[in-house]
Amino acid sequence: MINKILIVDDSPVARRMLRTSIPKDKGYEIFEASNGQDGVEKYQELKPDVVFMDLTMPVLDGYQATAKIRELDKNATVIVTTADIQPKSIASVMELGAFTLLKKPAKAESIKEALSKVEMKLKKLRENK
Amino acid sequence: MIVSQIFDMLDAGIVILDRDLVVFKWNRWMSTHSKISSEEIVGKPLFEFYPELNKSWFLRNCKSVLTFGNFAFISQKLHKYCFPFKSYYNTLGYRFDYMQQSCTVGPLRDENNEITYIYITVQDVTEIVAYEQKLIEMNIKDGLTGVYNRRFFEPRLEEEFQRHRRYNRALSLIMLDIDHFKRINDNYGHQAGDFILKALTALVEKKIRIVDIFARYGGEEFCCLLPETSIDSAKVVAENIRKQVQDELFQFKDMEIKLTVSQGVAALSKDIENAESLLKKADDALYSAKNTGRNKVVTAK
Amino acid sequence: MMTPEALDVFSDEEKDILQEIMNIAFGNATADLADVVDIYVKLSVPSVQVIGIGDLPEYLKTTIKTDGTSNIIEQKFWGNFKGSGLLVFPGGTERDLMAILEDQDREEVASTQMATLEKGGLLEIGNILIGACVGKVSELLDTFVTYSPPQVLQGDTHNCNFIVEQFDPSQTAIVMKTLFTFKEKDINGFLLILTNHESIGWLRKALKNFMDSYE
Repeated sequence: MINKILIVDDSPVARRMLRTSIPKDKGYEIFEASNGQDGVEKYQELKPDVVFMDLTMPVLDGYQATAKIRELDKNATVIVTTADIQPKSIASVMELGAFTLLKKPAKAESIKEALSKVEMKLKKLRENK
Repeated sequence: MIVSQIFDMLDAGIVILDRDLVVFKWNRWMSTHSKISSEEIVGKPLFEFYPELNKSWFLRNCKSVLTFGNFAFISQKLHKYCFPFKSYYNTLGYRFDYMQQSCTVGPLRDENNEITYIYITVQDVTEIVAYEQKLIEMNIKDGLTGVYNRRFFEPRLEEEFQRHRRYNRALSLIMLDIDHFKRINDNYGHQAGDFILKALTALVEKKIRIVDIFARYGGEEFCCLLPETSIDSAKVVAENIRKQVQDELFQFKDMEIKLTVSQGVAALSKDIENAESLLKKADDALYSAKNTGRNKVVTAK
Repeated sequence: MMTPEALDVFSDEEKDILQEIMNIAFGNATADLADVVDIYVKLSVPSVQVIGIGDLPEYLKTTIKTDGTSNIIEQKFWGNFKGSGLLVFPGGTERDLMAILEDQDREEVASTQMATLEKGGLLEIGNILIGACVGKVSELLDTFVTYSPPQVLQGDTHNCNFIVEQFDPSQTAIVMKTLFTFKEKDINGFLLILTNHESIGWLRKALKNFMDSYE
């Protein structure tokens, strides 16, 4: 079950756009971080079930932050949100171990779909324990 | 519909294609020039009728319009034409195999602002292109003889000089002057003089290669730049011209005119600093040919 | 990246929205570009500046190397969102840019002078890049624009004047700048989108409408 969601993006507008597009009926607890470094710290502190990660950010970018979070927790679920969806860019993100990638601006349906895929992954993880 | 009448009345081609480049509309102008009626082509892929358009540049332009909603401008300068329509007219003495066209591709949106079709407008610019060519020609050619003029020649001399020096290639220059041209004018009249200038240039052009640049430099003075040519070869060319002119009997109306030419030949060498010096060397050689009896070729030292 | 001057014209929130729209628009544009020209394009995070028209010539002079060593392609666009796109490449990259278009099948113009071809190539790249970026911004702001044919500017300062002339000197312009790289070809350049004062009022409304859908 997804309880906590962490949104990592340096743009308050982007965070708001994402937050308002996440289904409201599931009672998710949503947290925000304003750069990669902040994201890594909040991840350790909050242990969220899903991270939405932007790529271009100051201090620590999304590539580095994703790698770091995956290093801390090999089961971490990071969904990269980016406007750049060139095949090569997607490939480099997936190599880092991202769960999936959402094209910005992310539509409510695609967020919902991605989250249900995460639910399936979490369920499998629990069963295998 | 009043507006839709324009579609067929306009003196320009309009084609509307769907996202798969299937023809949706084909206006009367297009039918007239393509000899393909709207009934024949509508509903069929454009490439079925114009396979020559199934090329990366055309596809890219259409894709760009469909993706970004921008316009693509298919210029005559780059492509000459989009649709191969026969051109029947003879404009300013130019004949084009195909109508020269300037085309624009743009998006057409439905009520949801989605691009559902693209249009192509086709404008006949053949006449403009003919005027343009005429202008260019007038700018670089001598009006009387049709050979290049001095304005065209000088920068070309400079370019060729730099290029040949850079790559260490042979380059020669012949300067040619008609002997006693004033006498021809005085004895036979100016019309005859003009005729001689034309006849002489025609004769010289037969003796040189396409790559050589032959120009009227002054009144009866001509220059010929010979790329990739040593001074010895240039001298042979000049000698050929001299002999041919000397042997020729020029006929203008009922007059028979004999004439000779003097020439100076110079070539690119290490001690020649610039194009101007090369020209001066050839000119000095010509001067010396004139001063030592005329009807001869003198090679610059 | 926003300069302090931007604060005069836009609120903090508007500035954030505009910045995010640029990020999204230019990011999306790269993907679509790759679709059209088959090349991996990298666009930097765009910077948005508001500049007084009086300062625009100086800005252009310092931003664009107007000493004749740059290739500048200019294209105007019209609509609610209105202005000019300027694409700047370093000189000497024309051949590499031509290679991007990869027109082996353009044999019918093989005899055309190289200069004409290169100019045509610059115009086409300019048309596509400016169209992609301006088109995406417009799309996000729920409008669309029309374009005039692009033109290659000779790189001297004099020619930048006519860009400035389309603006009212007492007003301000929004300048959006992004750097781009064609990865495989190692060509760098930048794109400026200039919009005039008239667009600012409309833009403000459009920004509000954009965010309203995220309430």
